[in-house]
Amino acid sequence: MTYAELCTTSNFTFLCGASHPEELVMRAADLGLAAIAITDRNSLAGVVRAYSALKVLKDDIPAEKLPKLIVGCRIVLRNSSVDWVALPTDRAAYQRLTRLLTCGKRRASKGECHLDLNDLMDHAKGTILIAIPSDLDTAQRDIHPVQRRFPGHVFMGAAPQYDGSDQAYFTACADLALRCSTPMVAVGDVLMHHSKRKQLADVLTCMRHHITIDQIGTRALPNAERRLKGHVDMARLFRHHPAAIRRTMEIAVRCSFELSELSYEYPDEIADGESPMARLERLAREGLKRRYPDGASVKVKALLEKELKLVAKLDFPAYFLTVHDIVQYARSQGILCQGRGSAANSIICYLLGITDVRPETIAMVVERFVSEHRGEPPDIDVDFEHERREEVIQWIYHRYGRHRAGLCATVIHFRSRAAIKEVGKVMGLSQDVTARLSGQIWGMSDGGADPEHIRELGLDMNDRRLAQTIRLIGEIIGFPRHLSQHVGGFIITKGRLDELCPIENAAMDDRTLIEWDKDDIAALGILKVDVLSLGMLTCIRKSFDLLTQHEHLNLSIATVPQADTKTYDMLCVADAVGVFQVESRAQMNFLPRMQPREFYDLVIEVAIVRPGPIQGGMVHPYINRRQGRENVNFPSEELRGVLGKTLGVPLFQEQAMQIAVVGAGFTPEEADKLRRSLATFRKMGTIGTFRDRFINGMLERDYDLDFANQCFSQIEGFGEYGFPESHAAAFAMLAYVSAWLKCHHPAIFACALLNSQPMGFYAPAQIVRDAREHQIEVRPVCVNASKWDNHLERRTDGALAIRLGFRQIKGFREEDANWIVAARRNGYQDPETVWLRAGVAPAVLERLAEADAFISMGITRRDALWQVKAIRSQTPLPLFNDLVDGESIHEPEVTLPAMHLGEEVVEDYLSTRLTLRAHPMELLRPTIPGLTPHDQLQHVPLGRTSVCGLVITRQRPGTASGVIFLTLEDETGVSNIVVWAEIYKKFRRIVMSGRLLHVNGYLQREGIVVHLIAQSIEDMSHRLTDLGHPMEEVIGITRPGTDDVPRGQHTSARHPREQAKRLFPSRDFH
Amino acid sequence: MPANPKADQGFLLALRRWATRYCPWVGLEGADGLTLDITGSAHLFGDETAMLADMHHRLKRAGIAVRIGLGISRGSAWALAHYGTTSAPNDMQTALAALPVAALRIERKTDVALQRLGLRTIGDLTATERAPLARRFGPELLLRLDQATGVQSEDINPLKAPPHYAVRMSFPEPIGLCADVMAGVERLLVKLCEQLALDGVGARTLLLSLRRVDRDTQEVELRLARALHDAHRILPLFQRGIDTVDAGFGIDQLRLMAIQVEKQPVQQINHVSSGSKDQFDDLLTRLGARIGLENIQRFLPADSHIPERSFIRAPAAFSSPNDAWTHAQPRPIRLFPPEPITGDGSQPPPRFRWRRMTLTTGRATGPERIAPEWWMADENWRSGLRDYWRVETQQGRRLWLFYTPQNPGWFVHGEFA
Repeated sequence: MTYAELCTTSNFTFLCGASHPEELVMRAADLGLAAIAITDRNSLAGVVRAYSALKVLKDDIPAEKLPKLIVGCRIVLRNSSVDWVALPTDRAAYQRLTRLLTCGKRRASKGECHLDLNDLMDHAKGTILIAIPSDLDTAQRDIHPVQRRFPGHVFMGAAPQYDGSDQAYFTACADLALRCSTPMVAVGDVLMHHSKRKQLADVLTCMRHHITIDQIGTRALPNAERRLKGHVDMARLFRHHPAAIRRTMEIAVRCSFELSELSYEYPDEIADGESPMARLERLAREGLKRRYPDGASVKVKALLEKELKLVAKLDFPAYFLTVHDIVQYARSQGILCQGRGSAANSIICYLLGITDVRPETIAMVVERFVSEHRGEPPDIDVDFEHERREEVIQWIYHRYGRHRAGLCATVIHFRSRAAIKEVGKVMGLSQDVTARLSGQIWGMSDGGADPEHIRELGLDMNDRRLAQTIRLIGEIIGFPRHLSQHVGGFIITKGRLDELCPIENAAMDDRTLIEWDKDDIAALGILKVDVLSLGMLTCIRKSFDLLTQHEHLNLSIATVPQADTKTYDMLCVADAVGVFQVESRAQMNFLPRMQPREFYDLVIEVAIVRPGPIQGGMVHPYINRRQGRENVNFPSEELRGVLGKTLGVPLFQEQAMQIAVVGAGFTPEEADKLRRSLATFRKMGTIGTFRDRFINGMLERDYDLDFANQCFSQIEGFGEYGFPESHAAAFAMLAYVSAWLKCHHPAIFACALLNSQPMGFYAPAQIVRDAREHQIEVRPVCVNASKWDNHLERRTDGALAIRLGFRQIKGFREEDANWIVAARRNGYQDPETVWLRAGVAPAVLERLAEADAFISMGITRRDALWQVKAIRSQTPLPLFNDLVDGESIHEPEVTLPAMHLGEEVVEDYLSTRLTLRAHPMELLRPTIPGLTPHDQLQHVPLGRTSVCGLVITRQRPGTASGVIFLTLEDETGVSNIVVWAEIYKKFRRIVMSGRLLHVNGYLQREGIVVHLIAQSIEDMSHRLTDLGHPMEEVIGITRPGTDDVPRGQHTSARHPREQAKRLFPSRDFH
Repeated sequence: MPANPKADQGFLLALRRWATRYCPWVGLEGADGLTLDITGSAHLFGDETAMLADMHHRLKRAGIAVRIGLGISRGSAWALAHYGTTSAPNDMQTALAALPVAALRIERKTDVALQRLGLRTIGDLTATERAPLARRFGPELLLRLDQATGVQSEDINPLKAPPHYAVRMSFPEPIGLCADVMAGVERLLVKLCEQLALDGVGARTLLLSLRRVDRDTQEVELRLARALHDAHRILPLFQRGIDTVDAGFGIDQLRLMAIQVEKQPVQQINHVSSGSKDQFDDLLTRLGARIGLENIQRFLPADSHIPERSFIRAPAAFSSPNDAWTHAQPRPIRLFPPEPITGDGSQPPPRFRWRRMTLTTGRATGPERIAPEWWMADENWRSGLRDYWRVETQQGRRLWLFYTPQNPGWFVHGEFA
């Protein structure tokens, strides 16, 4: 005789339940419950977690001692005060339940579910319904019809209240049950797995109501009794109604549905009678002819046969076909895309055109591609152009229907920062205390607080409130906060998706997502296709389009000439602004040392400047070996095979796994377990056992301890920032293509890059500057020449010049630009004709005037503005529509003061964020003595040097122990500043907020890489106002434009420093 | 320190009153300024410069930092105060011309637009043709310009003095009898109440000053439980205070002042209007006059599961009754500090001694479990959570008992009616 808990609320009823589903299941096992139902409010989001937890427990505890998991949910209706716990008895009932929830969620906005009693009546066949009335007197009205509709399935749930009235309440429930003829069943209405969670439950209540704990009053739980209870406790409570306890068991037995029954089938409908496998084979063989016109090598053919066999065995052909179809669609629409991920670099994907990386070029590890034992689907991510990914997404919805395709969810958890902020607010800590806590103690981690640190902050750990707060913060970390959409993971099913899982609306229009996240669907063996977006693909596609248009060259990623010496030469001197992946500062510093000469060097380049290899200490050994300063040796012959391509240094995730297999004697599945335990090691804490096994395994095979430790620390690094070779190869491909474009068609590349903003590392100002340094003429925005996009103009000498487009003007709309172009005819004579012909609003004309776009008519910025200001009405009046020149009102001549260069520069920045006139530093240099121009840094003697420039980027890599890297720009080039933590402490505010910095320090040179080690830093931002722009307020009204780094809007910037910040924005990465 | 606009406003009003020492016409200028029309009053201080010096001197001594502009018009004074020098300029036009256009009290948008055109100072603006300016920026800009240069006049709106409710009465012969004083007070009250009723306010605190022939002053303060302007209801309440007055050789002047007034709008009277409410308030006033209004208190519900914190006490005269007593379970009418009794086990003891009485448990209902409010350190709840029982004893008393399972013990916490 035991008890089954049929009503529990987990923390997937956001801000309500106070325990993870995993905890509830484990506690149920401890208490010896026969079954536990996870019933969240109108949601099934938590059930898979419970299912996975139970699966883990099965490893240690015999199955018959474990509680049975009942999938269910608590249905809260809009028009009834009775809540219904719905427990499907079989798969058909489960499908009806998910459709019910889908129906409720699709008609509500994100995160809500609108259901009425009628909906329940339509969908609850075969589902056990337990009524949880909030008011016994009125409940009968709602229960009765349901009971008549589903006889034998409706029960009366009696949940103890713990307010002294329990026995009377049970008697009343029993009475009501009798009247409704719905047998009474005991439920716990559980909110937490253990009474110690009461405090957290109260804090969650406060968050839900947006109040502090001192205002909670009777909204707090009066006691901690709504915890999971064992049979003995429940039997004592229901001592007068033992049948209610017995009935829980009866219901538990009737609910036979298990999540493992959900069989998932990939869609395969385009088959035309052809089986998926046959179709895949046919397509692959067609691809073989296309990819290898001269006939494929024996090795390739063997590889293909092997892969096809594996795919057939694991029954994944439909998955490859789905990806193929999506890619095919994108191709047909001219949307550039490229696959990556372990499976994407298989020969099949190459032949199907999913990727253009030749599988021979990288050391493919088939085991990683699809491991048989993992029972886990292969992983293919497809990147699309970021501007057009939405088309692909909508096509998928259209192609498969919203009932069959949905985005995967991402559970947003409380991380340290949010936990500190929100719990701190509830507990009434002042904002500066929470700010100090979040700034100092936790950093990015999910760890707990260190009392030592807290004392250093001047906070008293003996303070009761503070101690409680810190404990609660620790508890709440990891709690789900809400569901959000996955960046692009699509679930597509053969049958109805809404019979697999409830579907809800996402915050974005036209997106629907399922309730489960990627771990959940992996646990159930459901496939997802990642449809991701990548700015560089947009840029490359635009480059190809421009190439066709101007150079009559038809290229694709696959047909860009490979192994081009000039391209590699360019990369060797770190001329890489705009080149995919290698344009960051760290990469640019690394390029000259790396000296890439072939494609695989780029693969390494992309993968090596990453937290994983850096933390694993792999960068220096590799570079030393590459430059020949260290001998290349292998710890053993077996590892030569693994590490041969990377000179004996493990750099990729696959290699780390291989070391575990080859070096430490792990089986492939153990290695895979290790990898996954690393990804989630904080949660599970199983890392220690793996570590011992790994080190011992390596020692047994005669590797030395240092090497073993080194390998393991790298595996640890990968766990967090895994970068597999397959991804690196896909990225390297794009890096190469973009570098090739930059090298051979710099104007086209720069133009495409500008048209793809915002993306990448650099702002338009830097891209334009880089283009001009490469002897490309950049022409200003002009009403009579520009289009919305930047475009290219052929110069008389045959070279291409970039004409800036209207998109560079802040706050300009594409529609207006198109009108201006369409009504241009033979050109406009004055601002007024633009207004008359193009019909754009005066405000738009003002923007044009501010951007100095009328200069080609000989009208200066100010005069244009003056003329535009005279236009007061939004649209031209019909009568005055076709004025002959000179017939308009005669106005007295007004001579406005002329602008000087400084003002022009500032106005340029103000309206287009870039200037073609002069760099601000050029104007300021004469007034700041003792500066070294940046292009001189290569040549001046080493020693103390001063530079001054605008801050373009500031970075604080997590791997660099508090060192800040600044990039400054002056009229001659850029300089790299290193600010050590010590100096940073002294000049913190200046470093973080200054826009024009004067840095004094020591010069360091290694090859062509020059660093200035900062000794003292001075904020010169106020000098920017010297350029002749006394308008402080004007900065306040600038709108964030297309190329803006996202930042708060409309904060008034009155101080010159603030003003400089808005005028000359930097890209900050922390 | 967080901004406190209300206090700022109060301070500005006080400063405005002070500023009337220079001229009678003083108006508020935005949230942070005063405008003084000193036409015809500068000579009282010598000349304008001396007047400014006097202002600076006095304000500086009071620790107040100000910017003062002296102009030929309200506009020019504003411009000089905000953007110019604080001394009186000799040539107003030159002084104005050098100021930025923002000094014209124009919208931010217009200011920015003018600056972008390079028209940065008022001088630039006056040098520009007026018609094109009006076409582009509307009449507002030129109006402001003219107001600054004094071409257009502009009024100053001085503020009305706050109302003052006081009446007095002098007697040709000193009086000394209580009845005479009461009669005098009645006349004063009628006059005062008329004034109060006119303004829609009622007196909350009244002060009666009685000046004796020997120049000594006796004072009677009357605090009312609610705002009133009915003379016949206030008058009897004065009786007790006046009885205590020592008339000495006689009283020759009465002065009645409403120190504290509250809004009391005119209300519709109907036949079910709460006459008893008035009587209750008068009772409070009478009781309050003896024991102090603050000492009459009432219970109000408070939001907490903890019995001791589920109510608060508030002064009756300064709170209104609240019937939001919501408790799912009955609560005792009397609550006292827990009194320990003997008993063991989690069930109520069948027999126990309490307050020297031996009681036998008849019916017990419970337990209602209440956990301490964990976010507050409450001494009384040190013993942890409590299981409350309603116990009906055979002796007739109905008691509220609790058991503390974490520190086993039984207590009586209250008694039901």
